[in-house]
Amino acid sequence: MVTLDERPQLIDALSALRDRVAAVRLPLPLPGADRARQNRVELLAQLDDYLVPRLKDPDAPLLAVVGGSTGAGKSTLVNSLVGRRVSEAGVLRPTTRTPVLVCHPEDHHWFAGMRVLPQLTRVWLPQADDDHPVDEPAPEENALRVETASSLPRGLALLDAPDIDSLVVENRLLAAELICAADIWVMVTTASRYADAVPWHLLRTAKEYDATLVTVLDRVPHQVIGEVSRQYGALLDRAGLGDVPRFTIPELPESTGGGSGLLPDSAVTALRGWLAHRAEDPAAHQQAADRTAFGVIDSLDARLPELAGAVSAQYAAAVRLGGVVEAAYHEQGRRVRKQLGRGAVLAGDARTRWRAYPRDSTAEELLDALAESLAALLHCAVSAAEERVRDGWRHEPAAEALGPVRTCADRETGERIGVEVRRWRRVLEELAEEEVRDVERPAGSRGALPDADTVAALLAASLLGGRRTRPAGERLAELLGAQVALRLRDKGGELVVSYVDRVLHAERDRRLAPLDALDVTPEPQAELIAALSVLQKEK
Amino acid sequence: MQLEDGRKRDQGRERRPGDPGQDRRSGDFGLGRDLGRGPGRDPDLGRDRGRSGDRNRDQGRRSGDLGRGQDGGRGRHPGGLDQDRGRDPGLDRDRGRRPGDPGQDRDRDRDLGRWDDGLIARRASERATLKEEAGKGLEGGGPGAGAEDVPTPFGGHYGRPLRNRLDALHELVGLSRARVESDALAEAGRVLDEAAARQRLSSRHTVIAVAGPTGSGKSTLFNALAGVAVSETGLRRPTTAAPIALSWSEGAAGLLDRLAIPNRLRRRPLAGGTGDTELQGLVLVDLPDHDSAVTAHRDQVDRVLGLVDAVIWVVDPEKYADAALHERYLRPLAGHAEVTFVVLNQIDRLGTDAADLVLDDLRRLLDEDGVALGEHGEPGATVLALSALTGEGVPELRELLARFVQEKTAPERRLSADIDAAAAKLRPAYVAEGRAGLDERSRDAFTDRLAAAVGAQAAGEAAERVWRRGAIRACGTPWLRLYRWYERKRAHGSTDPHPAPPAEEELTARQRVEQAVRIVADDASYGLPAPWAQAVREAAARGADGLPEALDELAVSLGDPAARPPRPAWWPAAVLAQVVMTLLQVFGALWLMGQIIGVLEPGLLPPVLVMLAGIVGGPLVEWACEGAVKGPARRYGQEAERRLREAAAACGRARVLDPVAAELVRYREVREQYATVVGTRPPVRALGAPARVVGGYRSGTRRLGATRAGARAR
Repeated sequence: MVTLDERPQLIDALSALRDRVAAVRLPLPLPGADRARQNRVELLAQLDDYLVPRLKDPDAPLLAVVGGSTGAGKSTLVNSLVGRRVSEAGVLRPTTRTPVLVCHPEDHHWFAGMRVLPQLTRVWLPQADDDHPVDEPAPEENALRVETASSLPRGLALLDAPDIDSLVVENRLLAAELICAADIWVMVTTASRYADAVPWHLLRTAKEYDATLVTVLDRVPHQVIGEVSRQYGALLDRAGLGDVPRFTIPELPESTGGGSGLLPDSAVTALRGWLAHRAEDPAAHQQAADRTAFGVIDSLDARLPELAGAVSAQYAAAVRLGGVVEAAYHEQGRRVRKQLGRGAVLAGDARTRWRAYPRDSTAEELLDALAESLAALLHCAVSAAEERVRDGWRHEPAAEALGPVRTCADRETGERIGVEVRRWRRVLEELAEEEVRDVERPAGSRGALPDADTVAALLAASLLGGRRTRPAGERLAELLGAQVALRLRDKGGELVVSYVDRVLHAERDRRLAPLDALDVTPEPQAELIAALSVLQKEK
Repeated sequence: MQLEDGRKRDQGRERRPGDPGQDRRSGDFGLGRDLGRGPGRDPDLGRDRGRSGDRNRDQGRRSGDLGRGQDGGRGRHPGGLDQDRGRDPGLDRDRGRRPGDPGQDRDRDRDLGRWDDGLIARRASERATLKEEAGKGLEGGGPGAGAEDVPTPFGGHYGRPLRNRLDALHELVGLSRARVESDALAEAGRVLDEAAARQRLSSRHTVIAVAGPTGSGKSTLFNALAGVAVSETGLRRPTTAAPIALSWSEGAAGLLDRLAIPNRLRRRPLAGGTGDTELQGLVLVDLPDHDSAVTAHRDQVDRVLGLVDAVIWVVDPEKYADAALHERYLRPLAGHAEVTFVVLNQIDRLGTDAADLVLDDLRRLLDEDGVALGEHGEPGATVLALSALTGEGVPELRELLARFVQEKTAPERRLSADIDAAAAKLRPAYVAEGRAGLDERSRDAFTDRLAAAVGAQAAGEAAERVWRRGAIRACGTPWLRLYRWYERKRAHGSTDPHPAPPAEEELTARQRVEQAVRIVADDASYGLPAPWAQAVREAAARGADGLPEALDELAVSLGDPAARPPRPAWWPAAVLAQVVMTLLQVFGALWLMGQIIGVLEPGLLPPVLVMLAGIVGGPLVEWACEGAVKGPARRYGQEAERRLREAAAACGRARVLDPVAAELVRYREVREQYATVVGTRPPVRALGAPARVVGGYRSGTRRLGATRAGARAR
């Protein structure tokens, strides 16, 4: 039997694991992500609220959480066990909105601090008795009322949790969190509810965690007490929970708030005795605590890989989303290069200008038309890529996190591309000017001094026009000499390719930016598994 | 009195401002739209009959979308029903409404409405009978209400508003099958099927299910209502495993078959229901629980709940706030409040004060669920407290049920709520924020982009320059022409930079066409619900398929305006003048020469004057020509640009804009149907936005229509 003596290595391993779990981010809205997020929160809560504090202080009092469906009589049961009205019971559902923790006055320090359930603020109320009933204070978010009662044995604390199937979602979540923090799970159900699906779900969870579990069958009409408890026992047997201690409490007028609101002592003696035994007998105490603690640690073996799986699913989705973008822009990049080679830029306006050059259109006009045409080509490619991305992402649920896809009519994209193309044109003109200046000196023999504008226009035409503008290249060679023209063409070609790539890459990066900002990486998965294996070794 | 009521409601519905679809309909009430629908009344009857006979209906409905016209025709006029009065116009209408030419179809509808008196006359009589039927429908019953399990004859027993909505939903589903792919559409189809199935069965009966969580006392209540222990009650949870039916009168077999309740589980109340005459027509179904660990029970409950006319939810003081009940059933079924009873059972376990508190709390919870409560005479859910065990409150429930059953409107109300729910689910597919449609600006932008793609502007300028250059060259002095020729030869190395322009295959800028189509498709689909936006984009993409090639052909067929510019009438005169000037120069030179040689008489002045006149006159003529040529050259260029531009625009319109517009018209049609489906009770929040959407849209289509007309005229 493993014992809960100080186990620093185990605590260290758990703390490390806790940090890993806390570091997990699941930003993409994948189908299972909600569940995984909830799983993570539950894990964190269980580690913070229960496991780490329990391992650090093996002698701390046992915490018994009374949980069950709405209207099962949880508060009445707690009140009756304590012998005083500590928790408000009533006919309206849901009754308990602020959880109430009751302990022996000498155990108070264990719970007053933030040792367990650190995220709940502690609230104290003045002592209430029958003459001075305490008004329910305005329900506070995330509050925990701590009460003391000397009628409880030392080493035991009772916690009255909200409904596990409450209509109020926060109540439901809080209840799950509280139950996760328990050493002893006290499940309350009633004669009319014992077949409900939700409590059974909880019972199965208890079995999975191998927690110390007690079930209470409450509010059973006297006439049928035998039959109902027999059937309930059969159901428990069938679920593999036959050995769980079972207590039956008959329906009494007090159950619905009649009389003092407390069940007579005789009805709860057995349960109180059982709980007191766990609290007072050191061996039973240790066994109860150990069983739940190690049950939870064992359950990590299954739950952490699940979380790690969710993390890797996130990463896979991110890779997939990014892949769609990369592929779309890559394809468009290839298409643009092909079009450039084919001389697709030299069409429409640009083609007409080229045919009219030099007689009917100026070099300036030709260059304008070519630049404009190139910008149109690039804008078209970017739009096509965006369209592809939009189609690819339509069926990806995770894409919702990345904001709306731009439409191709987006003015800004056009402007950005226009800026880049104008920059390209300026660089090309400068290049032409430089070459013309260099050529000028030796070329005295030729009568005509080549004009920089003409050279730039011819160069652009020969670069962008494909085969159709071979005359432009020839003319360039005539003007500047074959070698210079060749050099110019090479430089210009590099320039075109680099600017085209620059535009496409910039647009692709813009599209990927929101995804990159989410920073979905595969590391947390590996780290989780590593932390888990450390824990398994220490166990 | 009720008939009066019905009519009033009818009118109110049709006149209501703000409701987009309705508004529009009342606008051209006497015209095509309603006329087009006029015959639609008849097919509707025909369909009902066809439904009962035609088992292959489903298959037919699924047979693809483009055949919707025929399909609708088939669905509405199944073979053998040719005697339908409005058949021909109806068929025409259906066949005509192909995605390609809806505008035309609408025009025809309108034409029909304007001069076909026969139809109008028929419509009047039709409307009279329909009014009658509507009244009857509201009263309950209907013409065929008497016979049980006999297919209801013409008209069915649904009131007119409901039938309108069912009709519209049917059309909606048909129109959008290929466009909208969603569970919501399947759900709408299911509602239609259920409507048809329920309509075929007895309308005298009202099927009410008793549902609730395990242990709430459903079976006890069931027995209390029956007056005899029909359903087993017990402590074993869950008790009831299969639904049990109890009918107060004969002839509900068909209904129970539909619920798949076996014969051995069909019961009759005590002694054939003596003294229960007021409950005649009630069929009560005891359901298993919905929240026990036995999930098979839940499946059964879900199945039966979809088929019954009304539901009594039985809750107890412990479970009335269960999340399983509220979140899984009451919230989604909030729209069905009118056919919902919520019964707080087991109040014998509570004190009187406590019972009132709990009942109030239950009301509050229902209110939070969005269930309208039937208080102060408003329609809504009935909430009451009772104890099935002691019998307290049971007579009240019995009385309520009796009134409910005698009204016989439950099936209709349930169906109406089903349609509401289906419409709400379909909403994202048919209604979107924003203004749908192609406005003038995006059409112009599209034309501009196409013109840029074919290079209209540059072509025009080139034509202008060529024209002017030719003119000046023709009218220029020979000396100047000689000088220019020399200059060109020196500068470019050859006289002609493009000796033989190669045959070019791609005249049009592909990328610009692609982008133009993409932008116009985006503009058109902006503000459309996703499926329709997709359809518009696809239509545009289909149209864009051969567009660049078509534009290429166009450019070729129009010819290069710069190639062979025509010459103005005064050209020969100018050339002649230039020739005269040159001749004068030559003549003067010869004269001078003659004097120098001595052949002619000396006299310096005349020849010099003649020569000077020639020398000054030549450039003068050239200069004058240059001035005179400017205007015509610009006109020629502009004309060339305009021709190219218009040809490109026409091509783009025919191939892209018209299909897109057709798709938009189709959407608008569907949107109208949707408005009819939403019908009498549009969600409050929906009123503002769609009104705007449709308003903007309508103006868009009017313009569309105008351009279409223009295109046709051209």
